[in-house]
Amino acid sequence: MTAEERLLAYIDGELAAADSAAFEAEMAADPRLAAQVAAHRRLGQDIAGAYAPVLDEPVPPRLFALASAANDRAPRRRLGLPQWAAMAACLVLGVLAGRTLWPAQGPLAARGGALVARGDLDKALSRQLASEDGAIRVGLTFKARDGGYCRTFESAADHLAGLACRRDGRWAAQVTSAWSPEPAAGYRTAASAMPPAVLAAVDAAIAGEALDAAAERAARDRGWKN
Amino acid sequence: MNAFEREMVELLPRLRRLGRVLARAPADADDLVQLTVERALARRDQWRVGTRLDSWMFRIMKNAWIDENRARARRSDVFAPEEEGERAGADGAAAMEARLAAREVEGAMARLPPDQRIAVALVLVEGLSYQEAAEVLEIPPGTLTSRLVRGRAALMAQIGETGR
Repeated sequence: MTAEERLLAYIDGELAAADSAAFEAEMAADPRLAAQVAAHRRLGQDIAGAYAPVLDEPVPPRLFALASAANDRAPRRRLGLPQWAAMAACLVLGVLAGRTLWPAQGPLAARGGALVARGDLDKALSRQLASEDGAIRVGLTFKARDGGYCRTFESAADHLAGLACRRDGRWAAQVTSAWSPEPAAGYRTAASAMPPAVLAAVDAAIAGEALDAAAERAARDRGWKN
Repeated sequence: MNAFEREMVELLPRLRRLGRVLARAPADADDLVQLTVERALARRDQWRVGTRLDSWMFRIMKNAWIDENRARARRSDVFAPEEEGERAGADGAAAMEARLAAREVEGAMARLPPDQRIAVALVLVEGLSYQEAAEVLEIPPGTLTSRLVRGRAALMAQIGETGR
């Protein structure tokens, strides 16, 4: 080991205890050596410090979704007809369910031929940020190709996940799917286990990328107006 | 989401940080992270439960970065220049100074030869032990220490002792 390697190994905590103690004894007797150690320690702190803020940046939603929804992911490609058909069926089912299962207090209501969010779901979609926890969780927020905002949601109480887009001052469900929270509920994330039908609908509707936390907040504060 | 995905999600901030050391421009760094996650998912059967996921993914990122660099060299591309002022905000003098210092470090790191840069990043930024870093880089421990020595000497010459 060269003198330089030994010095750095000492700073990096790579010397055995006895070697480390011997090095410290040398340092005590040699101010120049001690100064070199101090300079290298400072360099190490400067380098670690320069990159530390990256840890506090919001993780881009595309990375989050990629890593967390891995189980569900069908290959990402444009939707073919069968998938559209499946989604349409899903939506019809949702409309029926809206009429029968949630007559008065359900999360969705039929209005003018569309299924729109009501009650707690409407509140969550209008006000809640992805970073906020609650009985209903909002996942991705993005701008659709037609320019309106869309958001994915998961409601544990309703066993429902879906995608809703802002139309005429309401949140219109584009697709819904049966969903239940994972049994091990200690840890959940915005994009946790979103059903494939919802991910496919996001793929089909999204223009560009999902909003980051700051853009999401700004859009909410503008009342989801463009 | 199972344990593998949960751990991978928790690792994302650190993967982004290592990506930033390697690729520098934030968009390139996130592309590198995306490539890393995609490869990790494709090869998840190769990860042995009970071993460290971070080291395993750092190794995947290292290889992805090398592949990326080769592809760029073939296309005789250059790295996207970092947009100046991109991160300029309206914050105070202390924050400005810290950011300038960080830019200086980033610049000095970018000038290191790639194999020294990643060795320094794994040990000084990610806090890996020499043995762990050598395993990530798939090199003998002696090679790692010599890269660390040369890399840190170059950094010291550029940014060490500047008025502090």
